[in-house]
Amino acid sequence: MGHPRVDAILEGARGAAVAARSAAELEEVRIRFLGRQGELTQLLRSLGALSPAERPLVGAAANEAKRELEALLESRLAEARETERTQARREQRLDLTLPGRRPRLGAIHPLTRVHDEIVTIFAGLGFSLAEGPEIETDYYNFEALNIPADHPARDMQDTFYLPGGLLLRTHTSPVQVRTMLAKRPPVRIVVPGRVHRRDIPDATHSPVFHQVEGLAVDRHVTMADLKGTLELFAREMFGARSRIRFRPSFFPFTEPSAEVDVLCFLCGGDGCRVCKQSGWLEILGSGMVHPRVLANVGYDTEAFTGWAFGMGIERIAMLKYGVDDIRLFYENDLRFLAQFA
Amino acid sequence: MKIPYNWVREFVELSLSPEAAADRLVNAGIEVASVTRVAPAGLSGIVVGEIEAIERELGESQGHRLVLCRVSTGRERFSVICGAPNAAVGVRAAFAPPGATLPGAAAGETRRIAVARIRGVESQGMLCSERELGLGDEHERGILTLAQDAPLGADLVAHLGLDDSVLDVEITPNRPDCLSVVGVARELAALTGAPLRAPEIAVKESGEPVSDLARVRIDAPDLCARYTVRVISDVRVGPSPAWMAARLRAVGLRPISNVVDVTNYVLWELGHPLHAFDHATVRASTIVVRRGRVGESFRTLDGQDRELADSMCVIADPERAIGLAGVMGGANTEVSDATTRVLLESAWFDPATTRRTARALGLRTDAAYRFERGADIEALVAANDRAAQLVAELAGGSVARGLLDVYPRPRPRPRVRLRMSRVGRVLGIAPPRADARRILVGLGLPVEDRGEDLEVDVPSFRRDLAVEDDLVEEIIRVWGYDKIPSTLVPTTVQLVERPERVRQADVVRRALAAAGLSEAVGWTFTDAPHAAALPTSAEPLALVNPLSQDAAFLRDHPLAGVLSAIALNLRRQHASVRLFEIARTYERRDGGTAEPRWAALAVSGQRGEPAWYRAVESVDVYDAKGLAEHALATLGLAATVGMGGTLSGFEDDCHGALVAADGTVLAEFGEISARVRAAFDVEAPVFAAVVSLDAALEAARTPGRASAGLGDSSSGTFRYEPLPRYPAVQRDVAFVIEAGSAATAARIESAMRELAGALLRGLTPFDVFRFPDGRRSLAWRLTFQAEDRTLTDEEINAIQERVARGVSERFHVAWRGV
Repeated sequence: MGHPRVDAILEGARGAAVAARSAAELEEVRIRFLGRQGELTQLLRSLGALSPAERPLVGAAANEAKRELEALLESRLAEARETERTQARREQRLDLTLPGRRPRLGAIHPLTRVHDEIVTIFAGLGFSLAEGPEIETDYYNFEALNIPADHPARDMQDTFYLPGGLLLRTHTSPVQVRTMLAKRPPVRIVVPGRVHRRDIPDATHSPVFHQVEGLAVDRHVTMADLKGTLELFAREMFGARSRIRFRPSFFPFTEPSAEVDVLCFLCGGDGCRVCKQSGWLEILGSGMVHPRVLANVGYDTEAFTGWAFGMGIERIAMLKYGVDDIRLFYENDLRFLAQFA
Repeated sequence: MKIPYNWVREFVELSLSPEAAADRLVNAGIEVASVTRVAPAGLSGIVVGEIEAIERELGESQGHRLVLCRVSTGRERFSVICGAPNAAVGVRAAFAPPGATLPGAAAGETRRIAVARIRGVESQGMLCSERELGLGDEHERGILTLAQDAPLGADLVAHLGLDDSVLDVEITPNRPDCLSVVGVARELAALTGAPLRAPEIAVKESGEPVSDLARVRIDAPDLCARYTVRVISDVRVGPSPAWMAARLRAVGLRPISNVVDVTNYVLWELGHPLHAFDHATVRASTIVVRRGRVGESFRTLDGQDRELADSMCVIADPERAIGLAGVMGGANTEVSDATTRVLLESAWFDPATTRRTARALGLRTDAAYRFERGADIEALVAANDRAAQLVAELAGGSVARGLLDVYPRPRPRPRVRLRMSRVGRVLGIAPPRADARRILVGLGLPVEDRGEDLEVDVPSFRRDLAVEDDLVEEIIRVWGYDKIPSTLVPTTVQLVERPERVRQADVVRRALAAAGLSEAVGWTFTDAPHAAALPTSAEPLALVNPLSQDAAFLRDHPLAGVLSAIALNLRRQHASVRLFEIARTYERRDGGTAEPRWAALAVSGQRGEPAWYRAVESVDVYDAKGLAEHALATLGLAATVGMGGTLSGFEDDCHGALVAADGTVLAEFGEISARVRAAFDVEAPVFAAVVSLDAALEAARTPGRASAGLGDSSSGTFRYEPLPRYPAVQRDVAFVIEAGSAATAARIESAMRELAGALLRGLTPFDVFRFPDGRRSLAWRLTFQAEDRTLTDEEINAIQERVARGVSERFHVAWRGV
């Protein structure tokens, strides 16, 4: 199908296109063969000088050659450009080991983190969130909770007083009373909040701290139910293999009362420094709501039973995060906070 | 409270180790903080020795006369150098022969005694002081001397009863019956089934009847329900025997004299506080129990003068106060070496009165501790008998016949009925009735059968058992809390509620943390200087009983917390500090108190940590303002800038407010004033903002108050607007404003909005430039868009021209054209 004259030019052009090393050289090849004075262009221009018989043959061959050459040049040009681009990028390669442009990360306070975890677990178990004032009256903080005036049980919660018979609540339990006064059973609430006790600050005591309280009152609520609920909580909070144990204790507003220990999640119960070799960590106080407390809010103590528990957020945070001084939570040193970002 | 285990075993036969007994107690609700050996660690081989002779004087050493003694242990003799002033022939003392060990200087170390040479003389062992033995602090007075009948060669640890363990029990306020050795023994008896052996009390009475020697009158029967007296004559006050002194020391009491020590010993043993008066000093031999009188004062045993009050119960004779009932005795009737006749008091005082009195006077005594928890009104006779018996044994003397007992109204015996059905309803499980019954009986409670139910005749030592559920607890704590199963009783399904304010605070918290601020949690308290530096319109709430003056007030200014945190971090050399707090403040309001809620934030130093890709910039007031706007925006609130912020703490000329359409202040921002920075000890500029979460919540609830077009992610209320179908067109305008001009960005913007009309969709200041001469250039990008057509250049050019000319005329600013 070719024609010797055309084939000769095409051969030369192919060789030149393949030999060209850059876009500029390829342009030179294009001009040499396809430019206005190019060899192939010249040939096509000179068709008129050919015999009528030869003219269509040479013409067709030349046009074919032109198309082929154009395609070849285009692909070679793309290759050359890619090579050049790669070359150029290689020369200006970015140092990817430099740090990226990071948005700043703020830290959520560790107490908030633990608070959220606890509240979320209990929300999943059907507990609504309730809040109350931090400045309370003696009635809600003590009297209604079966802690009469001049009772030694008040020693368990040394209190900050304000003028006018007011005080800073020593626990979140007044919200139990407020909630029950406002609503008939069933009650299922968790109450997070700030509380105050008149303790000299040291590594494990802070006059300001936070509690989460839980309360469930309904028909047929038992201490076994309390145990089951807290077992679920411990597994969510401290890991699937957590176990808890109940120990008898005394709180004026519960009867029977129980301290709850969780199997030390640091040593798995073998005994370590944190659990003082006992294998158990004391994490919360709990018990069946004292019938006097239920009576104080006008609940029928024969129809309804209830349980309550309360835990210190700082205590849990210290255990979970390995914080050895409670005062760190209130210093707000960024080097501390940033560890919880 | 320290309870020696061997003492407990005098009253109950236990085969348990002290540690195992402690475990049983813990599992029954008696906390045991520790179990420790009485004998100091490292003490071994010490025996009772006697100085038979002083063989040589060896001169002085450090002010002490050194002598060479011959010490006998019965079987052997040793030559021992001793520098003690009380080393004398015939004295029996603690002797460490070669090979014995003493506690070392540091915990866990021991010191082995070997034959030593002092001044060329061989010393075969050592006569030891209390301190050297680790038994006490005494050293200067010399070696620990023992009774003349102490058996020679006997092991000292055994001889002094130190081969024992002490349980440090922590008794909850409801169980005063466990505040004694017998109380703990009773508990262990119930837990193990071993029988309780009550102490054998046998008083040998002689001579006159007690009624001839003393009289008692109770004038305040509401404060003192019972008062008993015994009188012991011809006593010889002196030191207690070594065994009693050692026991008292083991429980943390200081031996004083045989008579006083007996009252303490019986207190520890039986749990009932007693008091011994020197009978000769009680005028008319008459005890009057009455209220204190206004203006009356007297001196207690500790040498302090005490003001009495009508609310206090006082022990008196006909002329004067001689004791603070249930708290502490008086100096005027104290037993002394000269005392020959003792009047022993064993009484019952009202718990609340005792507690109030002790607290009012700042006196926390072992006696008050027990009376305020409730002493056993029926055991006090036994306690008096026991003490009289011991005084007679240890101090000689004879106990007068009979006991004065004034007990005007004997205590009623409450009965509590327990339905077995209730046990299961409370616990979710119940032991068989027979087991429940056995448990109650084992606890020393008289039980009667009432059909299926049980009825307990509550004894006087268990005042805490008042209602049915108290008995439920007794049963389960002895039966074992581990028997309670784990169940999940399905409850009535209810919607889980989360208050709106909680959700709101959470949204703001996440938004500010995502914006690179770290959350602080501040202190509730503040001090007077900081409160003064950040005054508010509210009167600060002062604590009645603050821990210290630097925590005497409740914070009433929302910035108190973050500014403290900023100050701490700047002091600790952080170059860039960005903090926020979701905080409450506390104030009086409308006759009550209020706890308004805030998001407070403060920034100082560099905008970001130094980085290779940007220049180091310092934060300014626009950071604080922007963060406040950001917080409001996440709540769906847009606010305009206004003046009228009322919070203190900002520089007057750099303080703005973000207000809702109706003028409500939602937030304030600005630069913290130099005065406040000085109060917080901060040099660097600090910029801060405060969002009122209460106002923001109110604004979000009030339709029309918040600007439209913003969703509230806390309540999840969003409203879709159709997307524009025609392209937007942008134009820039810039003005040059003379220095001192009243034209502000906000005023110019509001004029531009008005002049531009409805097609203006957006207005963004994109360039601010200040000339050296004080003039400012402000440039805005205006975005125009129509809902129904593509805008033409002509139409937009006309608007741009109208806006630019209008603004320059109105504010006398030059339009720079773009």
